[in-house]
Amino acid sequence: MTTSPDVQPGVAVTESRQTPAAPSGPAAPGGRPSRRDRAGNGLTPGWLPWLLQAPALVVLFGLLVYPLVRVAVLSFQDFGLRELVTGESSWVGLDNFTEVLTDPLLWKVALPNTAVFAAVNVFLTVAVGTAVALLLAKLGPWARGILTSAIMVAWAMPAVTGTYVWVYLFDARDGFVMQTLGSLGLVDPETTNWFTERLPFFAIATANVVHHGFPFVAVTILAGLMTVPKEMLEAAALDGAGAWRRFRYVTMPLLKPVFAVVTILSTIWDFKVFTQIYLMPGGSGTNREVLNLGTWSYITAISQNRYGLGAAIAVLLTLLLLVITAVYLRTLFKQEEL
Amino acid sequence: MTRTASSRFWLAIGFLVVLGFSLGPVLIMLSTAFDGRANDGSRGLLPTEWSLENFAFVLDEGGFVTYLRNSLVVALATVVISSALALLASVAVSRFRFRFRTSVLIMVLVVQMVPLEALVIPLFIQAKTLGMLNHLFGLVVVYVAFSLPFAIWTLRGFVSAIPRELEEAAYVDGASWPRMFWSILFPLVAPGLVATSVFSFITAWNEFVFAITFLNDQDSYTVAAGLRQFFTQYGTDWGAVMAGSTLITLPVMIFFVIVQKRLSDGLVAGAVKG
Repeated sequence: MTTSPDVQPGVAVTESRQTPAAPSGPAAPGGRPSRRDRAGNGLTPGWLPWLLQAPALVVLFGLLVYPLVRVAVLSFQDFGLRELVTGESSWVGLDNFTEVLTDPLLWKVALPNTAVFAAVNVFLTVAVGTAVALLLAKLGPWARGILTSAIMVAWAMPAVTGTYVWVYLFDARDGFVMQTLGSLGLVDPETTNWFTERLPFFAIATANVVHHGFPFVAVTILAGLMTVPKEMLEAAALDGAGAWRRFRYVTMPLLKPVFAVVTILSTIWDFKVFTQIYLMPGGSGTNREVLNLGTWSYITAISQNRYGLGAAIAVLLTLLLLVITAVYLRTLFKQEEL
Repeated sequence: MTRTASSRFWLAIGFLVVLGFSLGPVLIMLSTAFDGRANDGSRGLLPTEWSLENFAFVLDEGGFVTYLRNSLVVALATVVISSALALLASVAVSRFRFRFRTSVLIMVLVVQMVPLEALVIPLFIQAKTLGMLNHLFGLVVVYVAFSLPFAIWTLRGFVSAIPRELEEAAYVDGASWPRMFWSILFPLVAPGLVATSVFSFITAWNEFVFAITFLNDQDSYTVAAGLRQFFTQYGTDWGAVMAGSTLITLPVMIFFVIVQKRLSDGLVAGAVKG
């Protein structure tokens, strides 16, 4: 059942339906005869595809692949301001990695701030997104139209301006929330600053990230929900299953691939969160308690000119993401086989 | 009877909660931007005194006229270049079978996962060496690279959805490959190009990390970088920050809401059809 093509629109938004595995299979996607494909119609020369994709490949290699190699090389070098000017570089072996891996900041601050934050945010984003999708599916066409537009507005809010609004809401002196709670006598605006402490800082960042991320999940899961056959839900209802059981035992298994994709994509995005942390008070390096791997790497390299060390942190973050990406690709391959 | 009534009640509650959570931050942004007394410590859901003062300030003294122009130039250049490159590449990977085709596709998928933080260090060093800092074109090249993988992946679905018979009919009528591409493929892929263009535009318009790293000359700031000047050690000019944020956000939002239908249709079609 899960292979029903109609389930795919959900996955679709994530541009993930097609996997690179497909072309190597006997039947190309869409069931086109592969003989014709290979021949390129016999009317077009064999170099044509290379000519067509050459400009894109040059850009991808020059600006994504080569810099990745370069950052890996940098992580084994002592590269500072002097090297930036002279263009020379000296190899230091694993020194940068030793320095990062033995730094308590990594284990006590940056890694938890990255991994725990991502875990919490992924869970909340997917939970809120799913709840909103279920709500949208129940609403009449009119209310659904309004709500879809509203969550599109949340989705469209740029990370930069969104972060400023959340900072503003909770600002120590002028914040809307602070003033409201202060006037109710619940907090003392004179002595409270939520941004200096780690937990409130990340709670505010979580509100921001979930607000920015749930619309994608909601829209994707809604597209999946539309494909769940009504008869199955009715049959389950006749058998006495309540709303929760229908969701848990009918909808969830059918939408498993969709859930897998939104979860993994959200994980990748939430591990890479940068702007939302960097732009918060203290996030740009003045408060080391709130560094995550991304901001730590950036601040070490760009603000402190220790490019080699910053590169080593960036490499660690990239390796973490590669592992997640590998899981992502495997999930996609599995889906294709189903 | 009571059951439907209570479920309608909960639906209404859910509707309001989601509506409030989605729109709340936007409303706060707008009301502060239009509040002439935003910096007097007045805090309300509605402006205490409607005024365009904050907008006048950011556009004039804040230099946002220049920043908006820079952002627009960068975003449009990104859209044009990345659409052209992605269209050609997507035709290559969906209409031809060649060696390394699978490798190219895997690369397109994998590079999307690369964290910006890993790229910003080597590209900053590169741009500095090449003297490309403070050049908007340097940013355009970077944004083209960021928007390409997604655009190729999405357009690929659109190209594949076009029946081969149409192409063959063109050949039978004596058309050359470029003629066929221009008269058959291009018009049929146009809706997909709209979707990917919107995404490329938003990528370039919203991008922040490279903008603050590459640009340190005020005249070349994009909007995302320009907002930072309202945060000073003496305090924050929230009225100006929110007015600037409104100028950045509104075009993107209007864009998003208008194309939402076409956007989701386009993405669905792009990904479902192989």
